[in-house]
Amino acid sequence: MSAVAGTVEQMFNHPLRLLASFLPLLLGLLLVFLINMPVSFTGGLLPAPALALACVYFWVLVRPDLMPPAAVLLIGLAEDLLSGGPPGLWAAGFLAAYWLTDRERDSFAGLTGVGALVGFAAVVLSAALAAYGLETVVYLRLAPVAPLLLHGVSTVVFYPLVAIPMGWLLRNVVGPMRGGE
Amino acid sequence: MAGLGWRWTRGRGAKNFALYLCVASAVTIAFLGKAEPPLFDYARSTLSDAAAPALSQIRAPLIAVERWAGNVTTMFSLFSENERLRQENTQLRQWQHVALSLQNKMHRYEVLLNAVPDATSQAVTARVIGEASRPFIKTMILNAGTAQQVKKGQAVVDDRGLLGRVYVVGANTSWVILLSDLNSRVPVLIEPAHRRAILMGDNTPAPKLELDVSDGPVKPGDRVVSTGDGGLLPPDLQIGTVMQDGSELRVALSARPESADFVQIKAFILPPPPSATEPAPAVTASAPEIPLVPQATIAEGISQRPAPPAMPLQSRSPDEPQFDGQNEELDR
Repeated sequence: MSAVAGTVEQMFNHPLRLLASFLPLLLGLLLVFLINMPVSFTGGLLPAPALALACVYFWVLVRPDLMPPAAVLLIGLAEDLLSGGPPGLWAAGFLAAYWLTDRERDSFAGLTGVGALVGFAAVVLSAALAAYGLETVVYLRLAPVAPLLLHGVSTVVFYPLVAIPMGWLLRNVVGPMRGGE
Repeated sequence: MAGLGWRWTRGRGAKNFALYLCVASAVTIAFLGKAEPPLFDYARSTLSDAAAPALSQIRAPLIAVERWAGNVTTMFSLFSENERLRQENTQLRQWQHVALSLQNKMHRYEVLLNAVPDATSQAVTARVIGEASRPFIKTMILNAGTAQQVKKGQAVVDDRGLLGRVYVVGANTSWVILLSDLNSRVPVLIEPAHRRAILMGDNTPAPKLELDVSDGPVKPGDRVVSTGDGGLLPPDLQIGTVMQDGSELRVALSARPESADFVQIKAFILPPPPSATEPAPAVTASAPEIPLVPQATIAEGISQRPAPPAMPLQSRSPDEPQFDGQNEELDR
């Protein structure tokens, strides 16, 4: 009980630190929300990217303590519900991405430039395979692969648009709010 | 320094346990989603109802940016686009004359035959506030729900044709499953062969056509419209045109979900079939045996029309009851 009381006390004493802890989750949910707007900036050329997956990848890579599996599950479920798709599919896909990123974090963290995109593409592929496999098992049908691949390509192409602002937030907002951890 | 919020997940063992628990939850939810769709439909409609005001507010600036980007692109093809539109306008004017003369002719025939007028479907105009084009789903969210009398299964059209059907309804929002979605199956009619088929979405922009077993040539360019079969959709809604894709027939859809801004949700309710105990509505010799409009509408329409000329019912056998067209009972 004393540990819980201590945590609650810390929450009130350091509200900014608490906010910083939940910022990656909130950003992930915000991206899910934004990507479901009826707007296409590619003129319908590419499907909407899974920006929330890019957010999950980024935070698991740089601050895994701020993006635990429960947060990934919540973001995935929000993606499933708000996109109108079958529930649980992208939640499982995002968790597969989490597992791969967490397992190979040292390898992914050393990648730069095009290498970073290739690393992220591998993570997107793992998420897509998990979601596709679960869809096949649950609904007993083979969904077309081409739209899934295009969705993956779109997600990889848009990754820098997520990673760059997230890096800025990490350096200028999350870091200072958490007392320079 | 220890952090707040997610501290319990920091240990490797605890993290793995949390991961396994979350994966198990996601898989369970996926199976539950198949077994109990209403549960998640309710969650989805509640979520969209809660998010609707924010979706509507954020949408405006994003649309402005999208239009600006679109304008920059189209500036380079303005001249050729203008020429194409001029030609199309000339052709459409010719078609307008043909359509008007056919409409007049049809009206005269209807008066001559004392035909029952077509059902007029009521419509609610709604704005598209969300859209998802994903590998496993193609859907959109509208800002009209049960408060605007929207019901599950109703047809959604834009200015070009049928977009899809409503599949989840919240208080102030509704979700539309698009014709191109993997789960979409819609009965259609192919004109002019008058051939029936099922339009099967497969997440590609042009859904597949599954033809019925009857005869009738179907070729690329034929019109595809909705049928009233099963009371699912209003009949004769424009859907698209037939196109050949290898050995398969597909449909180039007329409606464009990606550019849909305002759409119409069409209410179409078939009257209940006449029960064995209730007397059938009054019929005339020229009325169809199964009316497609509410019985009250038929009775009203008949009462306002001049009595039809007496016609011999030659197609019936002498054993069957005969009618004089005046408030007789058809069958019990």
